[in-house]
Amino acid sequence: MDSRENKKDLIQKRNTHQDEKLCGRREFLKGAVKAAALGGSMMMTGCGTSLTGSKEEFVLEWKEYFKGNYRLMTQEERDETVRRMERLAKLKMGADVKISSRGPRKQVLYGYAFNISRCKGYMDCVAACVKENNLDRKSKTQYIRIFEKEHGNMNVTSGNGKYFHEVPAENHFYMGVQCFHCENAPCIKACPIKATWREPDGIVVVDYNWCIGCRYCMAACPYWGRRFNWNKPEVPLKDLTRKQHYLGNRMRTKGVMEKCTFCVQRTREGKMPACAEACPTGSRVFGNLLDPKSEIRYVLKNKKVFRMKEDLGTDPKYWYFMD
Amino acid sequence: MKRCPFQRKLSLILILSFLIFFGCKEYSEHTGGVTVTMKEATAPFDDKEIVESIPRIPKNPVLVNTRYQGGFFWTETRHDKIERFRCSNCHNNNEAPIDKAAKVAHGNIVLVHGPENKPLKCFTCHNQDERDFLNTERGTKIEMDHSYQMCGQCHFRQKRDWVGGAHGKRISYWAGKRTVMNCASCHDPHSPKFAKKWPKTYSLALSD
Ligand code: SF4
Ligand code: SF4
Repeated sequence: MDSRENKKDLIQKRNTHQDEKLCGRREFLKGAVKAAALGGSMMMTGCGTSLTGSKEEFVLEWKEYFKGNYRLMTQEERDETVRRMERLAKLKMGADVKISSRGPRKQVLYGYAFNISRCKGYMDCVAACVKENNLDRKSKTQYIRIFEKEHGNMNVTSGNGKYFHEVPAENHFYMGVQCFHCENAPCIKACPIKATWREPDGIVVVDYNWCIGCRYCMAACPYWGRRFNWNKPEVPLKDLTRKQHYLGNRMRTKGVMEKCTFCVQRTREGKMPACAEACPTGSRVFGNLLDPKSEIRYVLKNKKVFRMKEDLGTDPKYWYFMD
Repeated sequence: MKRCPFQRKLSLILILSFLIFFGCKEYSEHTGGVTVTMKEATAPFDDKEIVESIPRIPKNPVLVNTRYQGGFFWTETRHDKIERFRCSNCHNNNEAPIDKAAKVAHGNIVLVHGPENKPLKCFTCHNQDERDFLNTERGTKIEMDHSYQMCGQCHFRQKRDWVGGAHGKRISYWAGKRTVMNCASCHDPHSPKFAKKWPKTYSLALSD
């Protein structure tokens, strides 16, 4: 009883306070939304649906625009935004996508190992990644880079990432680089608005709707792991991967950061990332670091492994190994 | 009493450094990082929750007769990959019309396996008397489905890694019952070396 009255009081106080004071940013925006929505819907009924899309689309867009940071949402809120996005994809592109909001699995920490003595530079992984993650075909965005290096060259900052000839070339080896999902990731610390974070299963993700595109994280990453959308990403409808995840391969917009997510839409369902599944040489080992019987644990225990720029203390969950 | 003018600044610095110290603690708390986290994880992983969503792939897996660190594991069958299996359909004592025999004989097989001066021959691996089977150096009859045992005779290091998980690959799923590809899923047993070919795609320079 008491507390409720107190609340009422508080609300009243707040309201009067607001009346007195200039409108806060949030209140102002909320007001603006209502006004715009009203005006917009009036316009919409006037113009019909041909020009700016339907009223439904308009309302969904506004709701999307004023939602919170994904990490702070409850599961219900996450499901809601995901449903809105599915509907918007249908309205805007005519695509039936399925967007998941599945959280991390218990007792799972993903890790990756790359066999530099087996990779032949075929780049099936790169192609599979582009397809799976709906990467922009216009700017030819790729999460994975394969570097061709001469035997004995262990300098991580050199190597030919633009080779195009028959592979494997004599006297060369190949080294794949992508986001390493650092446990102590500098990119996360660099983000001024916490639009990028580490999930409990170790995947470093970006909320594409929260990101403001400042690219601080890109500068902070010592592994060139991040990609920026300079233009609106374009994917032909027939090539669109429809099984998506909020934190993964759903369509990005212009001006936001993206990166490898260990195919969160696949791995949280028990599947291997697209790159590991596509590799014809078995150079890519993926698994659960917390599972003592997993393949990745076998590699780390029995093989000579190293990590890139280990001295930086970023603690990547991506190892290189040799036979 | 007049206070030292630096005193306030000093306490501010102290508080700040305190904050910084604890701010950084978020990570340094588990010094040693992922390596230590991993070593401490010794409890068996229970993937029941994930397994429910995993269909059994492939449909007729072969139980490997070696165990890996997690117990039993499975591999793909070879029988349905071999054209015209069973071999004994042709390799028997019945007569075959010569035009048909020429069409189905193994003229297309290129054998590049083993040392150059001492290449392998058909009956290094195939059982001469029972053509549906393979034959080890010791003369043990092996089913096609268990051909990994044949490969493991010479390539024992690769086989050890295949059993453990550093060579070869799992089929589609990282969780659930472990099912891996067979040696011959990737390597042509007659010429096992990977071919030179054009890469699937190419990369542009990074824009940054
Ligand atoms: S590799 Fe780069 S983008 Fe990926 S987690 Fe590490 S610092 Fe961040
Ligand atoms: S580009 Fe986006 S994710 Fe990166 S630091 Fe800026 S806001 Fe954060």
